[in-house]
Amino acid sequence: MEAFLQYATVFSALIVLILFGFLTYFTLPLFAEGQFAELFSLHWRPFHGEFGILPMISGTLALAISALLIAYPLGLGICLFVHGLGPRWLARPTLLLVHGMTGIPTVVYGFVAVFLLVPLLRNNFSHGSGFSLLAAALTLSILILPTIILLINSQLEHIVPKLRLTTTALGISRIHELTRISLPAASYGLLSAAILGFGRAVGDTLIALMVAGNAAQIPEFAFDSIRTLTAHIALVVATDSQSTTYHSLFACGLILFLTTASVNLLLHRIKHRTCRETDCE
Amino acid sequence: MNKLLNFGIYCWSWIATLGVFLVVGLLLFYLLSQGLPTIGKELFFGDAPAWKAILGQVRVWDALWPACVGTLFLVLIAALLAVPLGISSGIYLACFAPKSVKRILSLLVELLAGTPSIVMGLFGFAMILFLRNTFFPNANTSLLLSSVCLALLILPYLIFTTQAALESLSDEYLLIGPSLGFNQIQTVFHVLIPAAGRGILSGVVLSIGRAAEDTAVIMLTGVIANAGLPQGLLGKFEALPFRIFYLAAEYRTSAELDSAYGTALVLLSLTGILYGGAFALHKTLELRWNQH
Amino acid sequence: MRQQSFSGLFLAVLLIIFFTLPAVSGELDHFSNLQGNIDIAGGTAHIPVMKDAAKHIMTKYPQITITVAGGGSGVGVQKVAEGLVDIGNAGRPISAKEQKKYPQLRSFPFAVDGVAPTVNPDNIVSELTSIQIQNIFSGEIKNWKDVGGDDAEIHIYSRDEASGTRSVFWKKCLNKGTVVESANIVASNGAMKVAVSQDQYALGYMSIGHLDNTVKPLNLDGITPTQENAINGQYPVVRKLFMNSNGAPTPLVKAFIDYVMSSEGATNISNNGYIPL
Repeated sequence: MEAFLQYATVFSALIVLILFGFLTYFTLPLFAEGQFAELFSLHWRPFHGEFGILPMISGTLALAISALLIAYPLGLGICLFVHGLGPRWLARPTLLLVHGMTGIPTVVYGFVAVFLLVPLLRNNFSHGSGFSLLAAALTLSILILPTIILLINSQLEHIVPKLRLTTTALGISRIHELTRISLPAASYGLLSAAILGFGRAVGDTLIALMVAGNAAQIPEFAFDSIRTLTAHIALVVATDSQSTTYHSLFACGLILFLTTASVNLLLHRIKHRTCRETDCE
Repeated sequence: MNKLLNFGIYCWSWIATLGVFLVVGLLLFYLLSQGLPTIGKELFFGDAPAWKAILGQVRVWDALWPACVGTLFLVLIAALLAVPLGISSGIYLACFAPKSVKRILSLLVELLAGTPSIVMGLFGFAMILFLRNTFFPNANTSLLLSSVCLALLILPYLIFTTQAALESLSDEYLLIGPSLGFNQIQTVFHVLIPAAGRGILSGVVLSIGRAAEDTAVIMLTGVIANAGLPQGLLGKFEALPFRIFYLAAEYRTSAELDSAYGTALVLLSLTGILYGGAFALHKTLELRWNQH
Repeated sequence: MRQQSFSGLFLAVLLIIFFTLPAVSGELDHFSNLQGNIDIAGGTAHIPVMKDAAKHIMTKYPQITITVAGGGSGVGVQKVAEGLVDIGNAGRPISAKEQKKYPQLRSFPFAVDGVAPTVNPDNIVSELTSIQIQNIFSGEIKNWKDVGGDDAEIHIYSRDEASGTRSVFWKKCLNKGTVVESANIVASNGAMKVAVSQDQYALGYMSIGHLDNTVKPLNLDGITPTQENAINGQYPVVRKLFMNSNGAPTPLVKAFIDYVMSSEGATNISNNGYIPL
């Protein structure tokens, strides 16, 4: 029995290596033909023989970072609200709402954004068609918000009750306690929430595909139409199977995989360092 | 200055919270107001008679039914593949794995958990290309391939939730088995797993919810917009989330757009029920521990 | 002698009736002793025609299943050549490169279709020259007021590399000029129609068969893009719609192709806004 469980686990763990192997194997022809450098050029114009994926890489980064910049302060604010800045009776419903948000399908967010947010941006600003970095970042920030809140919250839940009696006895105000004592003590949660939020934002396909506009250009303004690596894969997955276009698809996949893998390795390291310091496990 | 900052933070926490309530409220209101009027026999079966459609005697055109059946099969097959593997792995990691082995195995599972679903779809697509060039020249994207990729996607969640449910049992449980003269296997299967059952079940329900909503992975592995009911494991199929995506981009008539709202509402209700169920299971579990 | 020739005539009439009977009793009879799956993918202009044909056939013959997917012409050609689908649709002829790589492909043209520059019905512009369109797509003209419209930015919508509609429009209207990288990219003719119908200042291009009252086709150099003008040669941005099979089609695929090209199929093609060949 134990052996069976062990095989199952080893199999589960090996999948990720097989996946990595496949992506590398299909990217290899690019290295062999010396076309790898071509990937990192500024233009995606397959008709003119240019297969640069830098626009997609920059689009992915711009979108993930802006989504994080919107979602992170929101998440932090909501965590503070739940842990003392808001009325106690609202704390539970707020957390319930956040849990509920994890159940909203990505495609539903994208759907509503296409019919509400995009026209709003299009009609109120003179630049751009509404399908833009901004629209995607706003939508994506709502998607990654629960991840951020739940991670920070799970740490604060351990810290705040321990401190509250002491700080109340010392006459420290609630806001002072939260911002100067509890939050700094929750640094692991704060850091991992940012990293994981970023990872989720990089990996999302549907929102980028539906509302970002998919123009393969380096973004300069918030109203620019952009294309992410994920949307790029979804758009061009079935082009000519021998050509550079095709192998560059797997290069995009590999880059995405390596990005999210580094995010998780980083998280893993932080977790273990924190565990060693605080003597958990 | 400090006071001003504090006041700012205070205001921000209110703005953020109310803002999110507002956004989610708006989203629900919008979907309900646009989607509710479309809910009905027409949305699911078009102009086909409902019972005949359910029994598969008549084909359904331009309606939700084939996508519902597609999603159902997709999720069931994915769960069938992933649940045994995920729970076994979770049990092993929680109860049997030596510490060093555990660390490396969980790291690999964490990496799998972080893999974006479009990359998983690309992996499935690559597998088909590989199989076509090697063992199965007729391999093609299909319901089976989508289910396999989806299973891989939800596997880490199953492992984590099983592991967490077992590891968070209080130490008393660990003592019950040995005190009754059980060996480790008996302790695990007769004491720990029954005690953690609800937690494990909540993980299963949660992962089914994830499988039902994921779109990117099936886009590359066999879902299409006009397939009708799935014609077996190796056929193409329709699915609810893909139908929403497809109709949002290219509805042909305003009736089709209406049906997109209906579809979005149906999918939202489905995942809402699944996530709510998982959450409730988890909460009752916590309550039970807290009573001890 | 007379008697004999009369009976000969009688026989001939009988034979003619016998052979034309299937055609008279309906084009669908070719399917009566066939069964199985047809997977169709590729050109998105084709989708309404394919879907309707599939619906007719599947309603009468439940033992046949036909699935219809999009992807674009490039996808259609490649997928059918690799054996991933049974019929690969393309809104352009097979390119020389594809011909060389997949010599076994067989093309079946079945309709004529134009590609029209398209704007929102609320846009006051209703006519552009091809030079103006080239300048807009290359990014030299950025505002509708420069071509006689409102003072508003032009939102360009284009298609991905796999699109046959794109390749035809690019060759015959844009004269192989550049397309700005800031153009939004949509994945099908259907999606182009939706995008243009929602955006007052959009400029896109799409299959004439897909036009309806939610969008407005632009006169190109003074010529209205209609299928009539497309077939009589006045409107220049024209292509044929093709179905492609991998080598000789199987009996089932052949029956489907025959149905699309039959008189009943032709009605279906016209109903969807294309001109049958």
